[in-house]
Amino acid sequence: MTSQRLTSGGCINRDKTINFTWDGRKMSGHPGDTLASALMANNEQLVGRSFKYHRARGIMSAGVEESGAIVTLGEGAKRDSNIKATTQELYDELSAYGQNAWPNVRFDFGSISNLFSRFLSAGFYYKTFMGLPPFEWGRGTGMWMLYEKFIRGAAGMGKASHAPDPDSYEHGHIFCDVLIVGSGPAGLSAATKVSEAGLDVLLIEQDFNIGGDYLNQSVPPPQFTELLSKIKKAGVRIMTRTTAFGLYDYATSGLLERVTDHIAKPSPNLPRHRFWTVRSKFIILATGALERHFAFGSNDLPGIMTATAAKTFLHRFGVLSGKEIIISTNNDSAYDISIDLSNAGASVELLDARHELPHKPSNMAKDAGVNITPSCAALKAYGSRSISKLGTATFNGTHWTKNETKPCDLVLISGGWNPVINLISQRGSKALWDSQSCCFLPGDTNEPIQVAGSAIGIWDISKCEISGEAAGITAIKTLGKPYPKITNPESGGWSKPIFPLYEVKLPEKRQKSFVDFQHDVTSDDIRLAHQEGFISVEHLKRYTTLGMATDQGKVGNVIGIALMAEALETSIEGFGTTKFRPPYTPISLGALSGRNTKNHFRPLRRTPMDSWNLNHNASMIDAGLWRRPWFFPRDGETIAEAYIREASTVRNSVGLCDVTSLGKIAVQGPDATEFLNRIYTNPFAKLPVGKARYGIMLRDDGIVMDDGTTWRLGQDNYFMTTTTANAAKVMVWLEELLQIRWPDLRVHVTSVSEQWAGCAVAGPLSRKVLQATTESPDLVSDQNLPFMGVMETKLKNSIPCRIARISFSGEMASEVYVPSDYGPCMMDLLWQAAKSFGGCLYGLEALGTLRIEKGHVTGAELDGRTTLEDAGLGKMASPNKDFVGNVLRKRPAMMEPDRARLIGIFPENLKDTFNAGAILCNANEISGHGEGWITAVTYSPIFGHWIGLGFISGGHEKWLGKNAIAADPTRNKNINVKIVSPNMYDPEGEKHYG
Amino acid sequence: MGNVTVKRTSALEGHYLLGHFGDHPDSNIIFDERKDLMLHQIAFWPETVDRIEPRLTGLVGKNSLPKPGKSIVEGEIALLRIEPLKIWIIGASPPQFKTDESVKLDISHSRTHLRVSGVDAKKLLNSYLPIDLRESSFPIGSVISSAFHHVGVTLWRTEAGYELFLPRGFALSLWELLLEGAAQFGYDVITNQ
Repeated sequence: MTSQRLTSGGCINRDKTINFTWDGRKMSGHPGDTLASALMANNEQLVGRSFKYHRARGIMSAGVEESGAIVTLGEGAKRDSNIKATTQELYDELSAYGQNAWPNVRFDFGSISNLFSRFLSAGFYYKTFMGLPPFEWGRGTGMWMLYEKFIRGAAGMGKASHAPDPDSYEHGHIFCDVLIVGSGPAGLSAATKVSEAGLDVLLIEQDFNIGGDYLNQSVPPPQFTELLSKIKKAGVRIMTRTTAFGLYDYATSGLLERVTDHIAKPSPNLPRHRFWTVRSKFIILATGALERHFAFGSNDLPGIMTATAAKTFLHRFGVLSGKEIIISTNNDSAYDISIDLSNAGASVELLDARHELPHKPSNMAKDAGVNITPSCAALKAYGSRSISKLGTATFNGTHWTKNETKPCDLVLISGGWNPVINLISQRGSKALWDSQSCCFLPGDTNEPIQVAGSAIGIWDISKCEISGEAAGITAIKTLGKPYPKITNPESGGWSKPIFPLYEVKLPEKRQKSFVDFQHDVTSDDIRLAHQEGFISVEHLKRYTTLGMATDQGKVGNVIGIALMAEALETSIEGFGTTKFRPPYTPISLGALSGRNTKNHFRPLRRTPMDSWNLNHNASMIDAGLWRRPWFFPRDGETIAEAYIREASTVRNSVGLCDVTSLGKIAVQGPDATEFLNRIYTNPFAKLPVGKARYGIMLRDDGIVMDDGTTWRLGQDNYFMTTTTANAAKVMVWLEELLQIRWPDLRVHVTSVSEQWAGCAVAGPLSRKVLQATTESPDLVSDQNLPFMGVMETKLKNSIPCRIARISFSGEMASEVYVPSDYGPCMMDLLWQAAKSFGGCLYGLEALGTLRIEKGHVTGAELDGRTTLEDAGLGKMASPNKDFVGNVLRKRPAMMEPDRARLIGIFPENLKDTFNAGAILCNANEISGHGEGWITAVTYSPIFGHWIGLGFISGGHEKWLGKNAIAADPTRNKNINVKIVSPNMYDPEGEKHYG
Repeated sequence: MGNVTVKRTSALEGHYLLGHFGDHPDSNIIFDERKDLMLHQIAFWPETVDRIEPRLTGLVGKNSLPKPGKSIVEGEIALLRIEPLKIWIIGASPPQFKTDESVKLDISHSRTHLRVSGVDAKKLLNSYLPIDLRESSFPIGSVISSAFHHVGVTLWRTEAGYELFLPRGFALSLWELLLEGAAQFGYDVITNQ
């Protein structure tokens, strides 16, 4: 192949030069070039190596169906592999490399595998290395695990960078009336019609120029300019460099916009890709058609490409792809191309597999100097690194016979066209084989989607335009606007029918003919699959990997299907095809994640005291989405030293803990009391105003859902707290109950978690801290604010607050809530007072210690399996009222006395430690699931040794005097433990009553 | 809360840096945090709408409540019908109602109020919000609840721009995301308070 840039023609800007490198060599191109057109203009023929056999590959197409020119771009962290050179826009300083080759694609040591290709047929590696005889006969895949990495290393499709991705990505949402995919003759015509009807149109084009097949014409037709002008005037939104990769329910589409892939030095603020979700009312798919090859000997040599690719390179990029060109076709579409190439100065010979030539096109071609041979096709390509001659064959009506061999530097193949039906197929539309046009056409769909143009097998540009208009009118009609009548043109458009041609071979002769270039699947592989019984289209795909490469079988699938149908002696429609799935073309993983990475992988939820905590040396920890203080180290303390000090300080004086993350729900309305009475197991009907009550709510199945306190602020006004973890779940549950089960109850629930900043003031001196910080110290006396008492008052500076005498630590304690924006002020006040009493700030770790000592449960214990009785809270189930979960909690299995019950755990040897997650076993039987498990452990400063909470069958009473083992097989540690009551600290509650 | 003698601390405190930022010299997006939000919620029941309507609409000098998803503005006071049976009052204290007519909540501290305006405000918001912001679907006066990075937010369109109500705890995280997305357009962070 000797390709060259012409001195005129094409949509490139010859006034400017773009410098780029290919495999380290400097080259140049022009704005408007793709990497492929620039390589071709530099007469670069060998640009890739094949996946399995490392065979030399060149540019085979001019679009997304490319299977040969698959390259790696960029350096370092920016390196990106598997880029199709045919779609990559050229930019200054672009650096591209061949991939899957060492040291480079021109001299690739891996090509030695091609010598053994005869043995490397489909399934070779699995057959050979799985259960390797005689070493592993019947014994599985051990040696495969050893070999696999070497096998995979030898094959491949480029290497991604191991460095973190330096680019950013973005998601976005677009709404429109009509989405039109594709800006060729049909797409532009549809856009014009729809926009003129006053509908909001979004037109997308995967290329960087709109126009589709208009761009491939020697002279852009005048209607192209007219249509462009009309859609711009009508305000059609146009997005180029944007691919519709998937269609989803209700006319929703996924788009990938390549924002900076064509820019040498993009702004760091620009995302590289945008992932758009488009919600439209109607979709028109004007996605065009892709020309396909057919299988013949060595049909993958550089210098063999589709006929339409040569046309694109000629008219759009001003590149003549060869000088001695042979075109092998079975349809009319190659004739125009032959004329254009001949007129551009090439010597062109056209082989038409059909016996009867199309009259007018053939005469025009002959007039242009094209030599035409009927009943003839390419049989075998010759050449080492690019094609030098082509063996031909003649069809005698039943089989092919060898004909002469002709010198050439470029072979163009036109084996028919594959309408791009991928997107409509994703919506469940069954692909239908059209034997007249030898292609799959889209089947029916009940969704508001219309396919137009060559995507429904219309091969004439003017008819494609009418088809686009017709699709537009269907959209207008569907969306309820006035519409004119139009007749949709029929598919087809060639003067002589296509000749079904999928492979050219001589009877009984073997040759390496490729069906799927990207995955090195040959026609023999298809026949091997048939011989081995993989005769379903799905099995064929998986056995041979046909259509499983990055091109997803855009070109090769039809050939493979046809060959299998022939082997099965059935028709293509009888054999069928696989269903297309998203994405139509590859999309970056970065685009899928958008900005939801690193710090924003999840939204971070900060308490109003977040900065205050950090300024007071808090070490923070994520608790769900919340960021909470974990511990407050002093003078280089370790976490263990810090939390032990903090817990001890709370027991001895006073501590402050940010508890804002607790869920808070306002329950209001005349029926609020009745509502609470129904959802909590214990009675709320008689809770006085100014009092709080601990409550537990169950799921319908009787399992504990959540616990918390609910404060009665007024006759019809409650303030419910939930656990941090279950706040959203409880809120949704309450809404569901009110909206679906009990719509008659006049109750409103509103999350007020964000409204209130909370601080636990815990310890024997907690009341003094409150008195020092409230405007009316007398109000918070023991008499005015007894255990479970609630009041609304003011902190100093007139900050409104709510205080409840409740305790999670087991000490005399209160929770103080202020409107969130006053959170830092509240902490300043409380901390000033607490500090003066020798108090401390404490975090989640000390909070955990205190609650374990006290035996209070959290999500670790209420894990979705726990009943009231399991948690030792059976007495909280009122026998005098009904409540959610009351019926099913009484199922026999839920009430069995041997169920695992909440317990406390001490080590037998007080110096021992043990772990949460350990299994509690009978000392004589350390096996299986044991008798229970440990949910939480801590060093207890009160007891001076490690303690834990957990569950064990029958509860602690059953284990009095019995030995148990905390078995920890994964950490190889078995500890003798004593099972005790979970209420380890102050079981009578004297401390928290005060 | 009028007697409080300390200032409220915004969720964006220390992270709300005034100035012009981003790729373009133009201010294609303008952020304006509306501090000291005064926001009350009135919730009612189908049978009490008629009873509360006159007193609520009296705040804004109108005769009828806004439809669900719509708002009424009069001066600095606005009524937003965020749900069929819930109204937000911005900029005024709610009138008194009997508890069997409606219930009220002061949620002034629960949201960070951010005004987003400028020629590219819609583009930026649609980077995060799956809401149809076209004029035909979301004209001035519209209000809607949606999800922003999985967080429930409220968006209200006024003459001045798009008013975002972000849950206070998530406000800083979402603010960071907004700034990341806005840098490509060029943006100003301003304050009118």
